[in-house]
Amino acid sequence: MGTDGGARRKETAAREEGDQGQEEPRRHRQQQRHRRRRESKTRTVRSNLLPPPGGGEPDVATKGAPHRWWWSQGGSQYLADNRLKTTKYTVLSFLPKNLFEQFHRLANVYFVLIALFNFVPVLNAFQPELALAPVLFILAVTAIKDLWEDYSRHRSDHEINHLDCLVYCRDEKKFVNRYWKEVRVGDFVQLRCNEIIPADILLLSSSDPDGLCHIETANLDGETNLKQRQVVREFLELDAEFNPLKFTSIIECEKPNNDLSRFRGNIIHENGKKAALYKENLLLRGCTIRNTEEVTGIVIYAGHETKALLNNSGPRYKRSKLERQMNMDVLWCVLILIVMCLFSAVGHGLWVRQYGERKKPLFDVPQSDGSDLSPVLAAVYLFLTMIIVLQVLIPISLYVSIEIVKICQVFFIHQDKELYDEETDSKLQCRALNITEDLGQIQYIFSDKTGTLTENKMIFRRCTVSGIEYSHDANARRIAMYQEADSEEDEAAPKGGTLSQRGSIGSHQSVKVVHRTQSTKSHRRTGSRAEAKRASILSKHTAFSSPMEKDITPDPKLFEKVNECARCLEIMRNQEKSLSHLTPELADIFDFFIALTICNTVVVTAPNQPRHKVRVRFELKSPVKTIEDFIRRFTPSRLTSGSNSGSSSSLSTSKSTHKTGSSFLSTLSTESTLLKLEAGLTRSSPKMNTNGYGVQPGGGWATENGLKEGELRYEAESPDEAALVYAARAYNCSLVGRLPDQVSVELPYLGRLTFELLHTLGFDSIRKRMSVVIRHPLTDEINVYTKGADSVMMDLLLPCSSDDSRGKHQKKIQSKTQNYLNFYAADGLRTLCIAKKVLSKEEYACWLQSHLEAESSLENRDELLFQSAIRLETNLHLLGATGIEDRLQDGVPETIANLRQAGLQIWVLTGDKQETAVNIAYACKLLDHDEEIITLNAESQETCAALLEQCLYYVESKFSDSEVKKSLGKVNVGVASLHPPSPSAATCPNLGLVIDGKTLAYALDKTLEDKFLSLARRCRSVLCCRSTPLQKSMVVKLVRNKLKAMTLAIGDGANDVSMIQVADVGVGISGQEGMQAVMASDFAVPRFRQLEKLLLVHGHWCYSRLANMVLYFFYKNAMFVALLFWYQFYCGFSASSMIDQWFLIFFNLLFSSLPQLITGVLDKDVPAEILVTVPQLYKSGQNTEEYQPYMFWMNMIDATYQSLVCFFIPYFAYHDSDVDIFSWGTVITTIALFTIILHLGIETKTWTWLHWTACSFSILIFFIVALVYNASCSTCFPPSNPYWTMQRLMGDPMFYLTTIISSVVALLPRFLYRTFQGTLFPTQLQLGRQLARWGPKEFSVHKDTISQQHPVGEQGLESTASKGSDTSGPHPQDHSPLASQSGHQPASVTESRSGHRTANVNAQSLKNTVMDSLRGHSPVPQRPEGAVQEGPPGDSEGESSTREVSPLSSILDLPDFSLLNWISSTPLFNGFGRAFRFSQSSLQTDVLGSTFFSIGSQLDQDLKGLKRETSDCFQEKVKGTAAVCHNSENLETTFL
Amino acid sequence: MKRNNCQGLPSRMPDNTAFQQQQLPACRPSLTARAVLPGFFATGVSFLGMGILLILSAKSVKEIEITYTDLCSNCSKLRENASNFYKECTCSIPFFIPEKMPGNVYMYYKLHNFYQNYRRYIISRNNRQLLGEDNTDVENCAPFQRASNDRPIAPCGAIANSMFNDTILLSYYPNSSTGINVPLLSSEITWWTDKHVKFQNPKSSNLSSAFAGTAKPPYWRKPVYQLDQENPENNGFLNNDFIVWMRVAALPTFKKLYRRIHRIQQFADGLPAGNYSLDISYNFPVTVFKGEKGVVLSTATWSGGKNFFLGVAYTATGAMTWLAAFSLMAVHLKLKKKKASFQC
Repeated sequence: MGTDGGARRKETAAREEGDQGQEEPRRHRQQQRHRRRRESKTRTVRSNLLPPPGGGEPDVATKGAPHRWWWSQGGSQYLADNRLKTTKYTVLSFLPKNLFEQFHRLANVYFVLIALFNFVPVLNAFQPELALAPVLFILAVTAIKDLWEDYSRHRSDHEINHLDCLVYCRDEKKFVNRYWKEVRVGDFVQLRCNEIIPADILLLSSSDPDGLCHIETANLDGETNLKQRQVVREFLELDAEFNPLKFTSIIECEKPNNDLSRFRGNIIHENGKKAALYKENLLLRGCTIRNTEEVTGIVIYAGHETKALLNNSGPRYKRSKLERQMNMDVLWCVLILIVMCLFSAVGHGLWVRQYGERKKPLFDVPQSDGSDLSPVLAAVYLFLTMIIVLQVLIPISLYVSIEIVKICQVFFIHQDKELYDEETDSKLQCRALNITEDLGQIQYIFSDKTGTLTENKMIFRRCTVSGIEYSHDANARRIAMYQEADSEEDEAAPKGGTLSQRGSIGSHQSVKVVHRTQSTKSHRRTGSRAEAKRASILSKHTAFSSPMEKDITPDPKLFEKVNECARCLEIMRNQEKSLSHLTPELADIFDFFIALTICNTVVVTAPNQPRHKVRVRFELKSPVKTIEDFIRRFTPSRLTSGSNSGSSSSLSTSKSTHKTGSSFLSTLSTESTLLKLEAGLTRSSPKMNTNGYGVQPGGGWATENGLKEGELRYEAESPDEAALVYAARAYNCSLVGRLPDQVSVELPYLGRLTFELLHTLGFDSIRKRMSVVIRHPLTDEINVYTKGADSVMMDLLLPCSSDDSRGKHQKKIQSKTQNYLNFYAADGLRTLCIAKKVLSKEEYACWLQSHLEAESSLENRDELLFQSAIRLETNLHLLGATGIEDRLQDGVPETIANLRQAGLQIWVLTGDKQETAVNIAYACKLLDHDEEIITLNAESQETCAALLEQCLYYVESKFSDSEVKKSLGKVNVGVASLHPPSPSAATCPNLGLVIDGKTLAYALDKTLEDKFLSLARRCRSVLCCRSTPLQKSMVVKLVRNKLKAMTLAIGDGANDVSMIQVADVGVGISGQEGMQAVMASDFAVPRFRQLEKLLLVHGHWCYSRLANMVLYFFYKNAMFVALLFWYQFYCGFSASSMIDQWFLIFFNLLFSSLPQLITGVLDKDVPAEILVTVPQLYKSGQNTEEYQPYMFWMNMIDATYQSLVCFFIPYFAYHDSDVDIFSWGTVITTIALFTIILHLGIETKTWTWLHWTACSFSILIFFIVALVYNASCSTCFPPSNPYWTMQRLMGDPMFYLTTIISSVVALLPRFLYRTFQGTLFPTQLQLGRQLARWGPKEFSVHKDTISQQHPVGEQGLESTASKGSDTSGPHPQDHSPLASQSGHQPASVTESRSGHRTANVNAQSLKNTVMDSLRGHSPVPQRPEGAVQEGPPGDSEGESSTREVSPLSSILDLPDFSLLNWISSTPLFNGFGRAFRFSQSSLQTDVLGSTFFSIGSQLDQDLKGLKRETSDCFQEKVKGTAAVCHNSENLETTFL
Repeated sequence: MKRNNCQGLPSRMPDNTAFQQQQLPACRPSLTARAVLPGFFATGVSFLGMGILLILSAKSVKEIEITYTDLCSNCSKLRENASNFYKECTCSIPFFIPEKMPGNVYMYYKLHNFYQNYRRYIISRNNRQLLGEDNTDVENCAPFQRASNDRPIAPCGAIANSMFNDTILLSYYPNSSTGINVPLLSSEITWWTDKHVKFQNPKSSNLSSAFAGTAKPPYWRKPVYQLDQENPENNGFLNNDFIVWMRVAALPTFKKLYRRIHRIQQFADGLPAGNYSLDISYNFPVTVFKGEKGVVLSTATWSGGKNFFLGVAYTATGAMTWLAAFSLMAVHLKLKKKKASFQC
């Protein structure tokens, strides 16, 4: 089984879990039923190889009989086997079941019922067979679609069920290959490295000497790091190999449940001994075995009872919002239909009655038996007949058309090149066919973080050691190179031969290869990131080790210093000098790298397959180690103090580990330990010393497996640890081995050093740091290395006196480091502080005593351990700090900014640590540095409630504050913004909410959820950290249900599956971590940034297309049916129709369907590039602007009008003539068809040749069908028998004249309305369309001119502009490095703007107004009030610093201002625009301020005047000419 | 896996065609005042022209309508009672044509309030029987399928049964004393296809034998083969009046072509002005259902009869379009001015 096979398996396993979700709810229900029936709370599992407890047949197991598994209580009970079944139908059940399901759709029942009505002789309006045809057609189409879907499900099930795994066979006394589906509870399964676990298995044996097994849970929770699992303790101590046949114990465990982080059970041995089982003993289905050669275990839960499958909360049947709304309108249609029928029925009753009993007219035909119908009975019959005749009002083809349109839309989304990712060679997948239009209406986005926003690659970027910054420029360049090379490759590909470019990359690359000291060369053939990434995907099993992360280019200065330091050390060691001779800086550097290397929990592995842990055990069994050994031996798997303990980032909570440990430790007597410890310490020192030195040259190190240097791999529980270790390795300080009690480091000149590991104080989110206590081999000192978040570390530093120079120096270092840290943070890097502390032996002994006490105490042990750790981590000596980049995916900040502008609220739900999450949130501009952040961390329900209350109060007070301001602004804009934006304004409702998982659990409680929600919705961004998959889905559900908002969840890992399923639209990121999220999702995109196009473009299109199509459908049918209804007034309400029944039935299906389908599939209301550059247009979908309830009624009214025209114009035209009914009906049909198609023409925004063809084809086919049908048979199709009707009509000029006038008159009002509205009050979308009329070319040229004139247009405005921004902008100046940068930005923008202005002012002014009103939401005349009202919501989503600006600029209607807004709104100029708007804002503010006081009712006119004035003024100013028109002093002061 | 990752173009890359990328060349009409103005003016002009043309042509049509239900009130009363079914009743109505009716003159009979489009009425016919294929095929003809003696009715069905059976003669009085019968033709008053395709007599040596074994419709006085005993081409199912009647009218008030003036002798140029009289044998009862009947004499033009509606409609629409065009122009100019103000 090679890598390839493994990869494939992984994929299929992942697929399986995704699919299983669909089956899940049913299973779950079944299970609950079982659960209710059974009283017992446990399940008992015994070996399969044993005869069943009741005796009986000895060997059922190997025969594969299904009933091998028994519940101990409750008699025989079949347990779920490992077979996966997600299909809905079998061959036999397909037809009935599918029909049954189809009839769940009310419309289908309706249509079948109507069709059946036709068979009732009294009613039959049409030929029954003919009436049945459309219904059958529609049912058949749907059935075929369902069949196909189910078949593909079946295929994927089959694939998974037939994966192989090794199961112990009793007969053959060895493990044999079996299919997954044959695995049963109680089977013994053997798994090898890189295999996927087929069921939930209790780990009984491992090839690892320590009884460990590493698994990767990426498929379950999305974390790619390795987790350790532990063999059940009793079996760990087995000397011989594990033999399943000898397994006689009985396992009692919980019922299957979906709690991934919990497993409780007991194993009862034959001798009656009972031992506890923990979740560390359980291997979960879907995970992958890593790093461990071979493990064996017994299956506890199988198939649909596994935790992985239970954790998938099943999908809802997703019905799009639009469809829900449409169904409402369908109901309205039904109501209208009933009213029409009732009306006709009553009319008919009256009509019949007027002739009385006696005077039967000739045409009132009696019934077949000659008797007359009573008026009432006639009315009743007529009611039913009318329903048949008017059934078309409920559009039968609507549902089919919608399905067809959606399939086509899906096709086009699939085909979009921009949604294709070359790196992973994957493109967007639409897995849900029926919710494409929901993409256009999303209001909330819930995003996973790791792997979704970020690439999940930690890269060491820069560091500072003892106050000196090492910028690692080469490293930065290298990272940039990956991207450049990538983009250049993209460019090069179409051009074909830009060899020179490629060559240059290559040479660059080779230069770097020299720099790199240790690298895996396999991935480095080309500089292409795509290539590298592909390679890294292939070698996925090496967690976090793409070349980008591994190959760090060292900073030459630092590299030099490290070498120097090492040299010194070597000299000193040879001379047996004390290390204190080293200069403080070099000492710091040395310690810094030691800390980077060892202060972590990284496991070293060799890359061979299967991967063994590198075991370089230096047998150091001296008496010195008694205590350590003592402790270690009695602790299961070094969980308490061992180096490899499951860190807090793993699934395991540290609590449970501690408990495991504590139960054992409690048996120890603390005193004795301590006594021995003291003894050991005193004796150890001299020996260790010699050891430390003596070992080096001798090479007492044994390497296994012919391990070579440089081929080591590091596997860390969190990727940043790995990044640091790789960074240290770049400086030749490489970690070569880690054992529970020792760490060995390879150093230049010094060779291998081995550090005795005394303690590891693992990371936790409260302390926000981790520490290791080691004994230094060179100095034999006990050192504490601590690394952690700077926020806590800086307070723990040794307070340095400012008296002596050393203290001063240290203080300086600290403040410098702090500065750099701030800089890093502002740069979006993850910062870590590294510090050191030297402990004297006494101090250590003292601390150790209390620590051991803490470890052994029974009550609040966690608390005591925490205290103990805090005691140790004080008075630290700062070494330095590092900046690590969790690389964001390309374009994430821009995408987020754009999506925000589009009115989407983005929440990030992550399982990650709070710090990490916040960091990333800053990096991707989700949180802003000048944003106020509410952090909710509560330990209990009560505190959480109190906290929420408090925050809510706080926010509300703020809100009301700003509310006041807003209302003020409405009355008098000038006053509110007269003062330059004050700091208080900057904190307005600009809030970010950070909440951790624990608190979230409380907050999601029924009692608190409302509060939580009302708080969260007021925040600009919400960040939920440490949330479990279930919590994620609960959050989504909460928002969806309570806020009635459209939600989209995007994630990449299996931990996002339930959230993806719960959301209205689930999006999976494909290609990163397994396929599970993808399988559960409705859409899968390769990269996060593609969400932008998916939502803003395709979502918008799909929505607008479908909305328009549905509305059109209603219109069309209503209009057509109304024609028939009007006729009832002229035929005694007798339900006769002038339109031939063929036309009637096929009008919808055949004649008028194609154009609307084409329009529904291809119409583009606004072209893609406009939609992307003006994200605000997306709001039309969010506000369901294209399909509002009133629009349905407007359409109905229009339909009524049009039908009146189409009926009465022919009526009067043929009035008093000898026209026969079907000729006249054909005229009306023709008119209706023309009107309907031309109506569509008015509504179509983009005409391609396909539209033209479809429309002409429809008309053509109508005439062809009519002609053929009317010539085909002279006696058929009673009663109409329309022989030669059409032919005759076409020879009559009246026919054409009537058709033309009717169509024109019918469409004139709508056409006029559209024209007036488009001219006078254009909507945002229409403006966008107009913008597009300048054409994409000109559009891009326009953009180019802006960027090109950058350098050209220098007119000495730099200083003024930057000054303006400085004085007015509420820009945060706390980060000095950034502030200086931002100083430059406005200047450059001004340049570009001035240059641009001269070039474009006149030509573009029209465009400007368009843009302007685009931004300002409301049509021109209403702007002042409207814009102010619109402003605040808009700017809460925009950049915080522009808050004051955007409403103002829209009020002002300054072409140039708005243009700038426009420019800055494009992603390209994002940064510039923000900075620039400050100056703009000040200008506008002041202008307004001076003039606005006197503005009363004439606001409008004044404004207009002002606009012109100001624009002129501004124009001239920009050009640098004399400032002629000074509107106010303020203007001058700010601007000059 | 199936694909080779390392070489060649990635296979999953979507094709870069205009269609697949939704970048088909397209025109994007925008409904703004400026864009639609020319169209509006053009439509207005052409509609006005067409309207005037239509009005003029409708004006050239000469038409005279004589409603004789009230004029023959005694006959109407007589027909109200079904027992007087076989009683003859004739009625003569003098009238005056003030102007000469040039060209082809058509004589229609007109019924008011007769719901020939009543649903159960429409479906009560059998086309196959009328095609002469099978006299006994009376499907769909309920309740007029079979007579009391169980013979199939030919022609069956309500439509045939209720056939208009007044006979109308037109006399011209060049002077007050002597009248000349205006020669009337009953040929070519039907659709050609009806006469030659849809209606055929059963194949037989003579008509009476062809219809042997069938019964006459209950409201008919004569069996179908006696409808026009003089002209065998106009007898049986091929009777023109019958065929015309069988083509069901669209609206409850309708006229049907009855005769056309044979243009011979003094009627070669149409009907001269003068005194005329209608001699009506009044058989068809209408007062039962509050209906009326009348005779219409009319000439014809290319645009149909004397119906001003279309002409007026065109004219009005043309005018409306112009009105709309002017208002659009106003809007456009105003906006243009506003835009211009930004530019200075």
